[in-house]
Amino acid sequence: MTSRARDRHSLHLRHAYDDLVRNRGVHAALLAVLVLSAFLMATGSMVVERLADSVGALAEQAQPPHFLQMHKGGYDRPALEAFAARHDEIAAWLVTEMVGYESSALSWHRPGTGESGSLASGRFDNLFVTQNDEFDHLVDEDGDVPRPAPGEVYVPVKYAQAFGLRAGDALTVSTDRGPFELDVQGVVKDAQMAASASSATRVLVSDEDLEHLRQAGGLPEVIVEYRLADAALADGFQAAYEADEALPRNGPAVTGQQIQIISTFSDGLSAMALILVSVLLVVVALVSLRFVIRQTLEDRVHEIGVMKAIGIPDRAISGMYLPTYVVMTLVACVVGGLLAVVATDVLTQDLRASYATPEIGPWTVLVPLIALAVVFLVVVAICRDVLRGVRKIPVVNALVHGSTSDERQTARRARRRARRVRRTGLASSAGTGVNRRLALLDLRAEGRQWALLPVVFLLTAVLITVPANLLSTFESPQLVTSMGAPERDLRVDLQLQDDVDGVRQELAAALEGDRRLTGLRAYANVQYRTEGAEGPVHLPVEVGDYSGETVRFTAGGAPAAGQIALSALNASELRLGVGDTMTVERGGESTEVEVSGVYQDLTAGGKTAKMQGEVTQGASAYLFYADVADGEDPVAVADALQEQFPTTAVFPMAEYLQQTFAGTTDAFRGAARLALVLGVAVALLVTSLFLRLRVARDRSTTGVLSAIGFSAREIVAQVRTKTLVTVTAGTLLGLVLAATGGEVLASGLLGALQMGVADLAFLPDPWLVYVLHPLLLVGAGCLGVVLATAGLRSADKSQWLRG
Amino acid sequence: MDQLVVLESRALTKTYVSTAPPTEVLRGIDLSVRAGELLVIMGASGSGKSTLLYSLSGMDRPTGGQVLLDGRELTSLSDAEMARVRLTRMGFVFQQPHFLRNLDVRDNILLPALKAASRQGRHAAIARADALMERFGIAHVQDHGVTQVSGGQLQRASLCRALAGEPSVVFADEPTGALNSSMSADVMDALTDVHRSGTTIVMVTHDPAVAARGDRVVYLRDGVLVDAHTPGPWQEAEAQQREDDLLAWLRELGF
Repeated sequence: MTSRARDRHSLHLRHAYDDLVRNRGVHAALLAVLVLSAFLMATGSMVVERLADSVGALAEQAQPPHFLQMHKGGYDRPALEAFAARHDEIAAWLVTEMVGYESSALSWHRPGTGESGSLASGRFDNLFVTQNDEFDHLVDEDGDVPRPAPGEVYVPVKYAQAFGLRAGDALTVSTDRGPFELDVQGVVKDAQMAASASSATRVLVSDEDLEHLRQAGGLPEVIVEYRLADAALADGFQAAYEADEALPRNGPAVTGQQIQIISTFSDGLSAMALILVSVLLVVVALVSLRFVIRQTLEDRVHEIGVMKAIGIPDRAISGMYLPTYVVMTLVACVVGGLLAVVATDVLTQDLRASYATPEIGPWTVLVPLIALAVVFLVVVAICRDVLRGVRKIPVVNALVHGSTSDERQTARRARRRARRVRRTGLASSAGTGVNRRLALLDLRAEGRQWALLPVVFLLTAVLITVPANLLSTFESPQLVTSMGAPERDLRVDLQLQDDVDGVRQELAAALEGDRRLTGLRAYANVQYRTEGAEGPVHLPVEVGDYSGETVRFTAGGAPAAGQIALSALNASELRLGVGDTMTVERGGESTEVEVSGVYQDLTAGGKTAKMQGEVTQGASAYLFYADVADGEDPVAVADALQEQFPTTAVFPMAEYLQQTFAGTTDAFRGAARLALVLGVAVALLVTSLFLRLRVARDRSTTGVLSAIGFSAREIVAQVRTKTLVTVTAGTLLGLVLAATGGEVLASGLLGALQMGVADLAFLPDPWLVYVLHPLLLVGAGCLGVVLATAGLRSADKSQWLRG
Repeated sequence: MDQLVVLESRALTKTYVSTAPPTEVLRGIDLSVRAGELLVIMGASGSGKSTLLYSLSGMDRPTGGQVLLDGRELTSLSDAEMARVRLTRMGFVFQQPHFLRNLDVRDNILLPALKAASRQGRHAAIARADALMERFGIAHVQDHGVTQVSGGQLQRASLCRALAGEPSVVFADEPTGALNSSMSADVMDALTDVHRSGTTIVMVTHDPAVAARGDRVVYLRDGVLVDAHTPGPWQEAEAQQREDDLLAWLRELGF
């Protein structure tokens, strides 16, 4: 570097330092917003990278299947063998035998300390299995494939996370033959069922113990699993599997890719929320920076005029102001990045436990660095662009009038102002009303200069409202109507088991005769086939009574006889709409049905259908919905029914929802809390930043007001009125935008993730979203006024007039 | 002169502690302003003239001493009480035309009067302001924006605003400092007119021609009142003589 360049650099840095110190409060607030943006962007990207790496590393160790089909009851093994022989793309296949037990049948104790507990509250589908030989392994914390001896058990990570189970504890299963105790040898990770959204979980035991558990009353279930030569063949393979009538198929079928999406979605949702929040914060930071730079140019207009007059090129002048913002952004990226390292470590603790501990590779460092570099470059580019405005400042106007505008701009502004002042009409006010009227007149005349506040409050209101609405939507009992289910107090699931039709008959009779229940509706899950784009596909249809207001349809309505309603995912996959006809086939009998409506279904992979009718035999599962009579407690009724019919699953609807969406709602809850804290903090920071600059710029007006008899309190009240009007307007607009555009955005994102959502209608908690949150935001604005105007009362007012 | 004392300062001091070392701008000022008097404060730049004016008007809080308006101690008043005093008892004319840019000339003039008035008193305040605009020849620009009128018109509007509330004292800080000689004469004629109608005026100026119109001229040096010159009531015919006498006095003081 030449000595001239060195001098220039040192001059620029000194200038940057002076600038930073001169407007300490404003720059501190700006820096805080930038640090938050950089921190969230880096954290979000790091968590996503760690998650993808963790999921990938576990998949490498555990070799999960590329396609799996769950099934209950007997199955035709030769048919599976014949199918495998016909398909060269199969690299390996196996049938995992599982034995299911209810969570309430499991308990644990710790011999060393005497501690004990039940696993009932976990509400997991506990599936006991043995270790597979070829693929789909359950791996321990070191990535090894453990094989328990008789009497030993390896419990899933979920038990460790929910109940603190660890090696040395004892797990007791209440079986028909009495308690069966197993020694916990360690914890295993399950690539197939690791997602926090998955309620099923596998427990690893020896062959002997699995047999014992089967004979002692556990529900047998199998998973038919395939490893393919190429994972990309999974979709075509699924179609081929579903086309073969002889194969077992009465449970859900999932591809490896879907498992990965579910894992990444449910565990990566918080990270995605972090990134979205950070994008909004970057926008807030950019809007604020633009404002601060423009104010700085106006404050330094004389200095700029002098530099221009002595012949310093425009580029060099703007180059003198840029380092302030480059330094701030750099500091923000470094601090945000360092904080992100700590935050990521905390946020990925559960991920490391559920999946594999990822290796630190080049991408671990590169991904957050790229994210931070994007933030840095975008912010600096915008600053550079705003500073380019220096070249438009006319020298004479800058030196003589202290104005950044040229003649035309000044004239235009004067004309605009003249038009406005003609209609001020202050004479209609008197006494204390003058103060408020003056504030509103000011705001009307200088609305554009106050635009920063409504814009930032609009963004923060969206930031706070969308996650809160998503959370309340996924927590609302009404959501079931958007999930292809009626809104009732209870849900009773009867899955395939020995003599399922007999149990159904007994259950239906008991429910109908139960005085505690009202509005009972029965549905049967019947397996149909239809023609898909790539051949025949499996179509699970819920047959039952859909008359009245049961399910919310996004298009069309409930099916009548000869009609079918399709879930959004099925409608889009089969390319069918309301009024179209399709052929469905069951037991060799084909029927033509008309599509009556489309609904969204977030459960069972989102691919379901509904038909009007009554099926009491031959279904793969049965479902009952009912309300409880007035004065009855749904939880108590559910518990009593569960005891009466132990082979069914009875849920109070609230609990069913909570359980179904636990992973999703946890992620939304985290995002909603984070967004609320950040939104309020940013609103406060930007308000105080803006008002500090505004108050400084308005000092001459404030001096006039003070001289002619306005007290500091009244002057502060004017600032407060203007702030209140602008932040309230911004917040209200933000609420409207969140309820409209936010809903579309959330629907789009969830739809893109193949979650079965076609048209998500927010179910907001009105007190929270329309009262509490706006009050908090507006409160942050008011606190900003207090902070920014604190110095006004004690100031010597004449200084404002004397410059 | 045995008129009533309207405004009085006793051992008034003002020290700026934000500088290192602290700057003593006013050092024990004792000053009385009588009702109907036009008192002129002169002094070199940095002598503390404006600080004295703003301390007397309560815009600045003095560090020590007292300021009394009609016998009422001002330095102990709260900010709101002091604002009320400025609103109802004082008027201001500044060197720069300090106006609210978002109001037209008329509303700027009306602002303090309307604020001080009750809802019933509003019409009287408006009538008074209209009369003042007529008197000072700016009625025709009353609905103009403040950026659309000349400096002289603005200074006359300033005077209208100062008088609209019928104050006890008008404070004028270099009222002609930003004007050319013709506009300056216009404004001084208006001020003299106001003074003749009995209004007490305390004015800071550099300009001997303007200062010559004062009943009494006090000279401030380094925060201390060093001397006073009393030309007596203004007579147009004696203008040149008064100015010469004043200049001679100022020369003696090293101005």
